[in-house]
Amino acid sequence: MNDARPYWNPYLSGVALGLVLLGTYLIMGFGLGSSSAATRVAYGAAHLIAPAASEANAYIGGYVGPGKSIFMDWMVFEVLGVFLGGLVGAYSAGRMKHLGVDRGQGVSIAQRFLLALAGGIIMGFAARLARGCTSGQALTGGSVLAVGSWVFMFAVFAGGYITAPVVRRFWK
Amino acid sequence: MNLPLYMQNAFDYPVAMAIATVLGFFFGFVLERSGFGRAMNLAAQFYGRDMRVLKVMFGAIVTTTIGLGLFGGLGALDMSLLAIPETYMGPQIVGGLLLGVGFIVSGYCPGTAVVATATGNLDGIVSLIGVMLGSVGFALLFPVLEQFYNSGHMGPLTFPELLGVPWAVVALGVAAMAVGAFAFAEVVEGWIAKRNHADAPDSPPVLRRGVYAGLAGGAALGLLTLLLPTGAEQATAGPSHRTESVEALQLASDLLNAKGKLYVLDVRAPADCQAKRIPGAMCLTDDDMQAKMLATFPATRTLVVYDADGSAELPEGVFAYAGPVRRLRGGYAGFEAEVLSPPEPPSVPTPDAITEYRLKVALQAHYTGAKTEKAPVIIKPKAVKRAVKKGGGC
Repeated sequence: MNDARPYWNPYLSGVALGLVLLGTYLIMGFGLGSSSAATRVAYGAAHLIAPAASEANAYIGGYVGPGKSIFMDWMVFEVLGVFLGGLVGAYSAGRMKHLGVDRGQGVSIAQRFLLALAGGIIMGFAARLARGCTSGQALTGGSVLAVGSWVFMFAVFAGGYITAPVVRRFWK
Repeated sequence: MNLPLYMQNAFDYPVAMAIATVLGFFFGFVLERSGFGRAMNLAAQFYGRDMRVLKVMFGAIVTTTIGLGLFGGLGALDMSLLAIPETYMGPQIVGGLLLGVGFIVSGYCPGTAVVATATGNLDGIVSLIGVMLGSVGFALLFPVLEQFYNSGHMGPLTFPELLGVPWAVVALGVAAMAVGAFAFAEVVEGWIAKRNHADAPDSPPVLRRGVYAGLAGGAALGLLTLLLPTGAEQATAGPSHRTESVEALQLASDLLNAKGKLYVLDVRAPADCQAKRIPGAMCLTDDDMQAKMLATFPATRTLVVYDADGSAELPEGVFAYAGPVRRLRGGYAGFEAEVLSPPEPPSVPTPDAITEYRLKVALQAHYTGAKTEKAPVIIKPKAVKRAVKKGGGC
């Protein structure tokens, strides 16, 4: 791993990310997102397992059912691109892992998976409640100066800092 | 130039999806090169060891905000076509807090979990599976959460609207705030490094100053566009309230089925309203033609407003109402034509057409047979409450 290229300077990264987002707005008229792609895949799976119950659900019913497809959405394709971009980025920087787990010292793989899963569940719930995640709300909505998106972003940092001391030992 | 391209119909849906993949590719690439494919790098933000999450995020927001202001100010971008996420205050505060908790517990946010997965981090895909389970959990709890989910709705509200200042001025303020946050982040990194007897993250001053100067320059150029005719136009275009509309038939059936969930306000001249109106609608009064009283209404119902034909400017008070607002498409004339006049039987009797016809007949019978009650008027909050209760139709 020692021959991996260093990460970009965060200020330059920020400008680069901003230019990607700006380009997205200029071309499409809306911004980037992430969580709803995972949501759509999950609801698609739910629909395969229990079609009637999924369509009857007041929330999932908006995503699946006759005439609707979980793939009829810009974000599913965008997140496919995110995956490919991450892959090429890591590969070309010599950072490609052969199936590793990123964890703090003294944290077992089982513990790490449990934390990742639990945190993921909380985020999945939170992103639906807030109508977006760090990408779709904070970053994208923040840059078009949406009031709720800024409130959301400060709430994310607040939630993170409040919880950080509790889970400190997992991130050493 | 006609930007945004897609909103101006420059290309079709399949092309848009291909472009989505390309834009996503750059998004993922930059996230990876920022170090966001590793949970340890992301978690470091919350322990002050390396605050690159804040630096990248604020840097990106300021770049985009300034850039949009510049393109808008130069007249190349129609800013009224940009999608603005709607504000729902309560759910966004609680959702944000929870997302922050999930972030530091899992070490990722949904987007970075995708990048982590792509780079071969198994904790990334486990986190993504969690996001999917959480989405399903939300849907299962939705019946209980629905009311809160829709609370605190303020529409697509932006800071330029809220503060009544041009975009470029807000962009400058955001840039100044971001630079302040960057400087603070560097100080925190220095402290923590000292305490841990470690090295603070490398931050070459030349690069840092270059980026600060670039942001300041961009923001200044944005301000200069206010002097251009195109920029002045953007600045004075004012709040673009994209009030959603409701169809006459929909409103007619909602009034019957959703008792106590609607306020209906007639914004025509008080005399016209007193003479003829949608049953249950409130009229304006001469001493409050801007319907300022609406600001004091509890935001527990959807406010439906209508004018004569759907083309008039809505009174200011409508936008001060805290709950969701819908405008009746076609105004009172539309309601008369769609609901109050006898419906035509369907020419092709498909089951759907027959169902619709029966609904129209039933609604027409109900509304034309309804007694005309004395119009409730907006005078004082007390009287309003009584008037709404007496309103009958809603």
